[in-house]
Amino acid sequence: MPEETFDVVVVGGGHNGSTIAAYLAKSGLSVAVCEARPECGGGQENTEPRPGFRIDPHATYLYGGAAPGFDQLELWKYGMRMVYYPSMSGVVTLDGVAANMGSRWRPDIGEESTRRYFPDGNGGGGGLVDALTEPAMRELLRALFWTPPHPRQHEIDEADLPWWQVFRKHVPELWTERLVDMSYCDFLEEFVPWEPARVLSAMGAWYCGAHPNWDGMMLPSLGGGMLFGYSGGSPRGGMHTYAHAIIRCAIAHGARILTNSPVEEIIVRNGRAIGVRLAADASFPEKTIWARKAVISGADVKQTFLHLVGRQHMDAGFAQRVADVSLKGGSLFVMSVICRELPKYHGRDDAFPEDVYPSCVVGPADSMDFFYAQTRDAYSHTKVPASLTPEHLTMMICSHDQYDPTRTPDGYHVLSPIYLECPPPQYDVEGPEGYNRHKQEIVDAALALIERMAPNMHSDNIVDVFVNTPYDSEFRNAGMSGGNWYGARQSADQWFGTRPMPELARYRTPIDGLYMCSQSMHPGGLCLMAVPYNLMHILIEDGVVEPASWWYPSEWYVPENGRRKAEVA
Amino acid sequence: MVRKGYGIEPTEHILDEFPEHSKFDVAIVGGGPNGLIAAAYLARAGLRTIVVERRHEVGGGLATEETLFPGYYTNPHAVYHMMTDYMPLFRDFDLDAHGLTFVKPNAQTAAVFTDGTSVMLCNQVEDTKDSIAKFSQRDANRFGKVMRSWRRLVDDVIAPGTYLPPMPPMDMIEAFERTDAGREVLRLTEMSPLEIVNELVEDDRVRMLLLYAACMWGLNPHESGLGFLVPLYIDRAANKALCYGGSHKLAGTLSREILRNGGVVLDNAEVTSFIVEDGRVTGLEVFDGRVIEAKAVLSSLPPPLTFGELLPAEHVPPELRRVSDEWEWDDWSFFTLAVATKDAPRYETDDPWVNDAFMVVTGFDSTEQLLRHWDNVLAGRLDLDCVGGHATVETRYDPTLVRIPGHHVSFLQVHVPGDVEGGWKARHDELAECLLARWRRYSPNLTPDNIVLSTAESPLDIETRLPNMVRGSIKHGAYNALQMGVFRPHDTCVAGRTPVEGLYLCGASSYPGGLVIGGPGYIAANSVADDLGARKWWTPPRYVQRYRETYLS
Repeated sequence: MPEETFDVVVVGGGHNGSTIAAYLAKSGLSVAVCEARPECGGGQENTEPRPGFRIDPHATYLYGGAAPGFDQLELWKYGMRMVYYPSMSGVVTLDGVAANMGSRWRPDIGEESTRRYFPDGNGGGGGLVDALTEPAMRELLRALFWTPPHPRQHEIDEADLPWWQVFRKHVPELWTERLVDMSYCDFLEEFVPWEPARVLSAMGAWYCGAHPNWDGMMLPSLGGGMLFGYSGGSPRGGMHTYAHAIIRCAIAHGARILTNSPVEEIIVRNGRAIGVRLAADASFPEKTIWARKAVISGADVKQTFLHLVGRQHMDAGFAQRVADVSLKGGSLFVMSVICRELPKYHGRDDAFPEDVYPSCVVGPADSMDFFYAQTRDAYSHTKVPASLTPEHLTMMICSHDQYDPTRTPDGYHVLSPIYLECPPPQYDVEGPEGYNRHKQEIVDAALALIERMAPNMHSDNIVDVFVNTPYDSEFRNAGMSGGNWYGARQSADQWFGTRPMPELARYRTPIDGLYMCSQSMHPGGLCLMAVPYNLMHILIEDGVVEPASWWYPSEWYVPENGRRKAEVA
Repeated sequence: MVRKGYGIEPTEHILDEFPEHSKFDVAIVGGGPNGLIAAAYLARAGLRTIVVERRHEVGGGLATEETLFPGYYTNPHAVYHMMTDYMPLFRDFDLDAHGLTFVKPNAQTAAVFTDGTSVMLCNQVEDTKDSIAKFSQRDANRFGKVMRSWRRLVDDVIAPGTYLPPMPPMDMIEAFERTDAGREVLRLTEMSPLEIVNELVEDDRVRMLLLYAACMWGLNPHESGLGFLVPLYIDRAANKALCYGGSHKLAGTLSREILRNGGVVLDNAEVTSFIVEDGRVTGLEVFDGRVIEAKAVLSSLPPPLTFGELLPAEHVPPELRRVSDEWEWDDWSFFTLAVATKDAPRYETDDPWVNDAFMVVTGFDSTEQLLRHWDNVLAGRLDLDCVGGHATVETRYDPTLVRIPGHHVSFLQVHVPGDVEGGWKARHDELAECLLARWRRYSPNLTPDNIVLSTAESPLDIETRLPNMVRGSIKHGAYNALQMGVFRPHDTCVAGRTPVEGLYLCGASSYPGGLVIGGPGYIAANSVADDLGARKWWTPPRYVQRYRETYLS
């Protein structure tokens, strides 16, 4: 077997791995992507466990609508299509609220429902979201997500971080220095008077990565919700179609995609990453693949250093800091429920008529106490709640097929995903399999609660239920340590210049030629094509790649001292 | 087909999408094996090619999916790749570069009987003879000699004929009379599978296994007219290969060839109609309103969909209207029980090697029992006391299918009618339970403790997943003398061309048929390349050329 050598070897064909492969292949490099599973895409997946029914075990919305990658990679050529929704979200409570919040395309729906429940005025966004119309919204999102963290030598006042610059520019009247230290919960308490809207916003932010109660993260938390609102829909057919567009772009530009080929080792010699070794049972015939220019890890930070590189190539202090990266935030118990009718919440058919039925419903959203109880279960007690009562089980219940007929056969719907936040398996006081042991109890309690909120969700209406716990996800998706979608807690200690730790924030590592490109890096998960876009700046600085004129850097990008600037020459 | 909502027109498109209107040289409806093969050849010939697929994944029967959710992949359709030795595409494309690997184990097709005895067809004939000799030395000796001559029939006549357009019956008889091999093919054609097997061996259990191998893909054991397929199927029963990483890997590899040559693969895109201008098919329309224009439109769908639904009625020639109305779906289909287990199923048998076999047939102690089951199936009945089929431990040769290290996925597949008395919805769970209990008789470790997950799919489920396989017709239509050879699907549609200008056929309902043999896609690609004046960068394999010189000149 001849030795296989590429300019760049990418470990993992999930969202970030495929996207960086597309960027590099389009720039003319030879690239191999080594993926453990039979299919690339990682969390951007749709599966059909029952014939005809496509479920979303992970990602479900196009959060990345503002990504430069859509233009730069020209994903339209590779089949990218969208479905836009009249209503993105709704919120329900145990005591009979069922408010349809509409979408950016139909703001009237949200205005009407909030007026109905909260006649005193704007109960929802504190005016902030309204103030941030286009192009300000896109600018803010790009500052938050599509900007590489500043170099370590670059000193900057926190209030001058890119997103605060944009914020001050567009909504000077709302700017106060206090915002910088706030948590999103502080902000909601101050500016969002209507309790169900607070719970909706808080839960929404939590599902996007940055828990709303983490201090100093008000805008990144809110930003998650903005990403959701900005796109106002999902890729046609589900998130995997978006993955297909990215992977096909990579292939069309010559990248080699090696599926069923798990990487067991990143080969390091003299402090430099020079290739990878595949598992003995990998489908690719040659198990050692050499990299001329770089190895890029799409695996999370812990697996990359503690498993693939190995402690023999790092000092004990660094290894400990990697081991200590917190995985809290974003480990989800995911249910997919096949049913004949969409939930009719509290029998109020009129709140969610079929033509504007919200694509996700958060409930029960009676009180922020529910939200805090669930947070304590996940992060303080780290176990299945002792009492599986409604105040511990606020969920996000998604359905897309009312707007996308590709997902289910006639006469059926699939509620997928239904998200419940829970502890990462490693932290579960009952051991990593803790949640798996209680799978059925949790499903039963969740279904009973859904039926309480929507009486038509009785057992006759339910055809089938599929579940993936964080522990399952850890096995299914090689790159999700802790079943964590965001690869590392998105708190101020692990965000932007400190994500996942300061010495890795610029995607470089202590190993020459090894770069990080996973959701452990800034700005986290959500299939934004952001980590690869940000990494491109660094690879250009290091001379690994020279993209052509289609490339443009972030407006807020700060070059590393002494390196070439990441611009088209 | 088209239902529910479609979302709304946004006030602003936040990103560029695949255009509403696009133009290609070639548009292929259906991204199954044949659609992908045709596209791969034509894209590399420099034609701008698009594959338009209804599902979220291309591949059709080349599917590898997490049907045992979460964590276990299976190949719910194509598993046994029988023609990897012959398919031209393996010579024409450098598929190894994508990591495409086939595993062809020596232990191929076994049968285990209730008394614990077993017989096995191996890739190496002497191993098969050793196994048959347990029952009859005469059969073993005779089997060895016949298989040597059948191998020549397959190599010289049957396999090469798969990749060339069919001959009309009279021409074929005349041509085959020219050689010994051809005359033997003609002789076998006039025999039924049962007659051929009875002539071959005398031990009833050996007969049972050979008859199973001869007919499992849908030959009626009693009917003559297609007997030439018996040597092929028995030979191929000892030459099956497994696509490492799952059958979908072949589909993925082909789509990569298409993409690298500038082609496009569009999924989640059900085609709702062909566009016809001046009697010529000039394009197609997708359910979301997108229009794709093309100089050649290739349909891999069976006649009732191609001519009955997609081609506007006024443009359907009367003879094809008749084909569409009278098309016979497969005589039988499959019901499949799949299990994820901690330990692989282990058979209690006299030959431990059987546990390595690619396929293990259970449920029949005699040819009479097998025929009783098949006769029931042909009559649309199910007798749960007389049912059996073939099982495969997919992870035996491909551990990459499971995400939980050391665990296994296996399935037991039995022949069933496409429609069953009482309907599949009512009979589904009953049959699944029955099959597990019967499988456990042979493999006692299939206990509830050992089984992590299980799922079962009926012909109805096959049709739901792949609507072109109506009533679970995995071959897109029955194999009988009226729907085979030049008559598949009709003698006005030869080599993929149809009487409707611009419209071609490239699916399993065209000659030579289904089962991932790749013939229809290859033959149609040749015709389209000729008609559009594209550079044919490939040449037929030597054995195909030899066949052409011997029989077609």
